[in-house]
Amino acid sequence: MATFQTTLAQILSSNIPPDQTDLGAETVASVVITGISVVFIGLIILILLVTLYGKIFESINAKAEAKKKAEAEAEAKLKAAKEAKKEEEKKAAPAAAAPVVEDGVGDEVVAAIMGALSMMYAGTGKKPVLRGVKASKPRRSAWSSAGAVENTRPF
Amino acid sequence: MAIIQSFLDTLAQLAQESGFAGFFADGGWKNIIMILISFVFMYLAVAKGFEPLLLLPISFGMLLTNLPFAEMYHPEFWNYVEDFKEDAGTVNSHYIDYQRILEHGGLLDILYMGVKLQVYPPLIFLGIGAMTDFGPLIASPRSFLLGAAAQGGIFFTFVGAAVLGMSAADCASIAIIGGADGPTSIYVSSKLLTANSSNSVGTIALAAYTYMALVPIIQPPIMRLLTTKKERSVVMGQLRPVSRLEKLIFPVLVTLIIALMIPSAAPLVGMLMFGNLLKESGCCDRLVKTAQNELMNIITIFLGVTVGATTQADKVISIAFGKVMLLGVVAFSLGTACGILLGKLMYVATKGKINPLIGSAGVSAVPMAARISQKVGQEEVPTNYLLMHAMGPNVAGVIGSAVAAGVLLAIVK
Repeated sequence: MATFQTTLAQILSSNIPPDQTDLGAETVASVVITGISVVFIGLIILILLVTLYGKIFESINAKAEAKKKAEAEAEAKLKAAKEAKKEEEKKAAPAAAAPVVEDGVGDEVVAAIMGALSMMYAGTGKKPVLRGVKASKPRRSAWSSAGAVENTRPF
Repeated sequence: MAIIQSFLDTLAQLAQESGFAGFFADGGWKNIIMILISFVFMYLAVAKGFEPLLLLPISFGMLLTNLPFAEMYHPEFWNYVEDFKEDAGTVNSHYIDYQRILEHGGLLDILYMGVKLQVYPPLIFLGIGAMTDFGPLIASPRSFLLGAAAQGGIFFTFVGAAVLGMSAADCASIAIIGGADGPTSIYVSSKLLTANSSNSVGTIALAAYTYMALVPIIQPPIMRLLTTKKERSVVMGQLRPVSRLEKLIFPVLVTLIIALMIPSAAPLVGMLMFGNLLKESGCCDRLVKTAQNELMNIITIFLGVTVGATTQADKVISIAFGKVMLLGVVAFSLGTACGILLGKLMYVATKGKINPLIGSAGVSAVPMAARISQKVGQEEVPTNYLLMHAMGPNVAGVIGSAVAAGVLLAIVK
């Protein structure tokens, strides 16, 4: 490298005064050869360095990409396994049992509840399952209910 | 009666002092021709769109400098002071009296200091760097070779100029036109040419920008002549994506290598790469916008109008200017041919993977030369997109011509 630099410095220091007119074949040839060589040497050094760091970055990027790909693949596998398990569970599960309906609740009431649920879930992709219907116990006693009715009637 | 006489005398004096009288003075006809030439360049810039951003200021500078008695530019101020003794006692044969220019110079003299002191071309390179994407060159570093080959036109034209008996300064200034890079041509010629040279910075710039505008006319016939239909039909593969970090390292690396190898190329390459680093950093948006727009536009106006001011009648209406125009087109053509020929060599070496047409883009002239490669390539295969592949040699050509300028400045001094 040092020899190269010395040679280059020698070539570039062979000055031609700007006002010199009769340049002579030797001088002109040396300008042409020196000029083309130096331009090529400079740019070839750049090619080598850019190629080198390009390769380094390519390998780093390739490794990072491979890691990402492996992670994505593992995640996809895990997801697929989960889905398969779900499917199996679905298949293995017995057919949906009929809702347990408390005595005193009519079939019309069950159909109305089912209809309301279906309407609420329409478009969500979910299917509601009615597992049972129980009549709720009155929260107030007959006396307090009568009182509430009395007080709220004007409204 | 005395009043009338005084009135007539004043009128006569005003007429004598007016620029119109200057046209009838010795050599005044040359100024008329120069003004007419400036009109032609204005027409080419405005009506034909020939590099208008520079040709219009240059042509107006040409008009201003050729107006008799306007004294906006004084060529005699730029003569070297003979045998000027520095404080240390050494004799400086390249001394320009800038103090005198500042005290007595006209507007264009003051602005021309930016050219003569090599301030404007590097600043233009800063703007170019802020606008350039070196991605295609980083993705395909072998493009550097095509950028280097196209500089062959510079050095072979040096031979032609020397054969015509020109001085070393003239040879180097004309040869650099082959780099197809206006600021580089101005940089080299402003450093080498003196008022005693047969050419001026203005005539060199005029030739360089005229031929750059004529790239779509000069290049295609040479490209078709030197390549076969099969070679022109090569469809090149896609370039690899380049990461941001690679783009950030590139300007620093190029500056270090080129500036350390050829220090005289440092102002051009350094500013080009600084502009590019600003762009790629992604954190200096305001500076990038200024470099790309305001600064670039201001410098373009100063550069154009002052370079135009150096095109005085005796410099343009001369055989020397004819030689510049002749050698300029030779330099351009040789540069194109050298790029294409190396492209052909690479076509053979890569077993037909490289389209030699991208070699012609090595002569800088960004992005026009790359567009020409694309256009000529599409004449053969309409679906062939060579533009990005040609941008590699194209931007490599900018670096290559700056390096070639550095070499010329290192040799001729």
